[in-house]
Amino acid sequence: MARMSYRDAIRETTAGELRRDESVYLIGEDVGRWGNLFGASAGLLEEFGPARICDSPISEAAMTGCAIGSALYGMRPIAEIMYIDFITIAMDQMINHGVKYHQLSNGQVRVPVVFRTQGGVGMRNSSQHSQSLENWFVNVPGLIVAMPSTPADLCGLLRSAVRSDNPVLLIEHKSLYFTRGEVPEDDYTIPFGVADIKRPGEDVTIIATSWMVLQALAAAKTLADEGISCEVIDPRTLWPLDKQALVDSVKRTKNCVVVTEAPAEGGWSGEAASVVHEQCFAELRKPVRRVCGMRTGIPYGTDLEKAVVPDAGWICDAVRELLA
Amino acid sequence: MSDNEQLMELYQQLLVLRHFDEFCYDLKMKDLIMNGFHPYSGQEAVAVGVCSLLRGDDVVFSTHRPQGHSIAKGSNTRAVFCEMLGRRGGVSQGIGGPMQWIDKPHNFFCGSIVGSGLPIAAGVALAFKRQGLDSIAVCFFGDGASNTGAFHEGMNLAAIWDLPVLYICENNQYGEAMPVQEFVPVSRISQRASAYGLNGISVDGMDVEAVLNATTDAVAQLRAGNGPVFIEMITYRFRGHYGGDPEHTYRSREEIAVWRNRDPLLLARTRLLARGFSEETLDELESNVRAEMEEDMEWALEQPFPTVEQATDHVMIPLGQD
Repeated sequence: MARMSYRDAIRETTAGELRRDESVYLIGEDVGRWGNLFGASAGLLEEFGPARICDSPISEAAMTGCAIGSALYGMRPIAEIMYIDFITIAMDQMINHGVKYHQLSNGQVRVPVVFRTQGGVGMRNSSQHSQSLENWFVNVPGLIVAMPSTPADLCGLLRSAVRSDNPVLLIEHKSLYFTRGEVPEDDYTIPFGVADIKRPGEDVTIIATSWMVLQALAAAKTLADEGISCEVIDPRTLWPLDKQALVDSVKRTKNCVVVTEAPAEGGWSGEAASVVHEQCFAELRKPVRRVCGMRTGIPYGTDLEKAVVPDAGWICDAVRELLA
Repeated sequence: MSDNEQLMELYQQLLVLRHFDEFCYDLKMKDLIMNGFHPYSGQEAVAVGVCSLLRGDDVVFSTHRPQGHSIAKGSNTRAVFCEMLGRRGGVSQGIGGPMQWIDKPHNFFCGSIVGSGLPIAAGVALAFKRQGLDSIAVCFFGDGASNTGAFHEGMNLAAIWDLPVLYICENNQYGEAMPVQEFVPVSRISQRASAYGLNGISVDGMDVEAVLNATTDAVAQLRAGNGPVFIEMITYRFRGHYGGDPEHTYRSREEIAVWRNRDPLLLARTRLLARGFSEETLDELESNVRAEMEEDMEWALEQPFPTVEQATDHVMIPLGQD
């Protein structure tokens, strides 16, 4: 085991994949000289050179399309979209083209591309650099959507993404980059569609991903002092969704809260709640509670951006109300 | 091969594309092609001239009007008829339809989002360059595509990285119903290439030999590692934007007649006659091609539709096998 930051886990895993397979390359805005905005590819240009650590112009459609085209002919690109907010420019290339080629070719074409990006609040970047847009992508047939919450999950899911012949969107969180955790040193992968219980508990299941997992764990700690035992479960991939793990947990705890940083409407929190209602109706004491971001553009400034997305306090309140 | 033999082969391909297209038009009018058919009649010299210079390992990206490019790149006409008709046996098993299919054995891709092919073609070219191959990527698109973001982003990327992409703009004078002069502020779309340091040229896209000559140099340049290249082919579609569109709302019969006088098949035929081929030889060739296309169409019409199960085949590689 090594203790490392989420940011360093990205760098180490990327470097490992670049060493393992010569067809892997990283492309994105300032992934080379800057080594990514957060240092997630620092030093890689020196080791691997500009053909494999490829600084792209600020041109998300070009960079994304380029990654897709190269993936059709033997390359395994990791395409980094600096902020998920910029992915709007790349979405036609991803969704209308890259994700559809396997089906349109009757299975003859594979598109082994990883789209890496980061979302969420935490850097006072306001409404065009702080969004949680994962819900849009859960609705795209053919696309895997991963949202690792820990350095260890990041390593395992990023390896799986690079080694998969399916297109994968891996969404990081800017507030997670400098969190730390234990990471196994072997070359492990984490399969898509396998949830992880981050904290076992008996009274309520809290389903959360990414930065919200940390908020849920903080809430669970507070609530433990009040005698409430929370189980925190992280689906780790939004599609495929490990429905069985969610259902198994709720059948035991008989209570469920779903937490997302994104607004609730039209999102996977509704999907998760629906799965629980459909399959745990008899066991549930009360309807599933959702704790989600406010339906607003993310405002500028520390206090305001924190005020519009869930934190441990919101989750504690929801759990207390649910169990009252 | 003598020039005469070469022109004869090109003419035969022009005939294949024209008769294929005209049969498709009839199928659309009978509602047997359900939707999405965009006729290629009039523009055949571009597909035939360009694709005659390509190898099997070169990759072509096309548009919502892909049938000419696909057949010229080598796609089986029966398979393309089937795709138009939504039948099993289609290039994409009848799942893609008339605007989007992939023929992997012939390295052919197309799609119906205008302008989107340019960045993807650049990516294919990047892969070839990284792998040290001399294969090239060719991207066909229309005049309308030259206003999209993907056009400019893709061409810029190909230019800054010297990627072996041949960008072929088929200026058929209309973006759907809008005349090109109304939506492009420069007199030649090839002028736009200069913004990316490229020497874009404009070529008579009705003349298959002119297309061939311009593209020959371009392909040689790209195989030598100097790219990208931008060529505007000045052409015209004889039929509507889609099969059965209200074309009287945006263009006159007189205008169409003027362009039909420069029909690429007519130009090639006149040249062949001047070079000593007989009317009888050319008529026989045309009737053979037409009969062959009719036979392919009849065959395709006998093919079954895909099953509902096939509608969800290959959405992705099953987890665990990916």
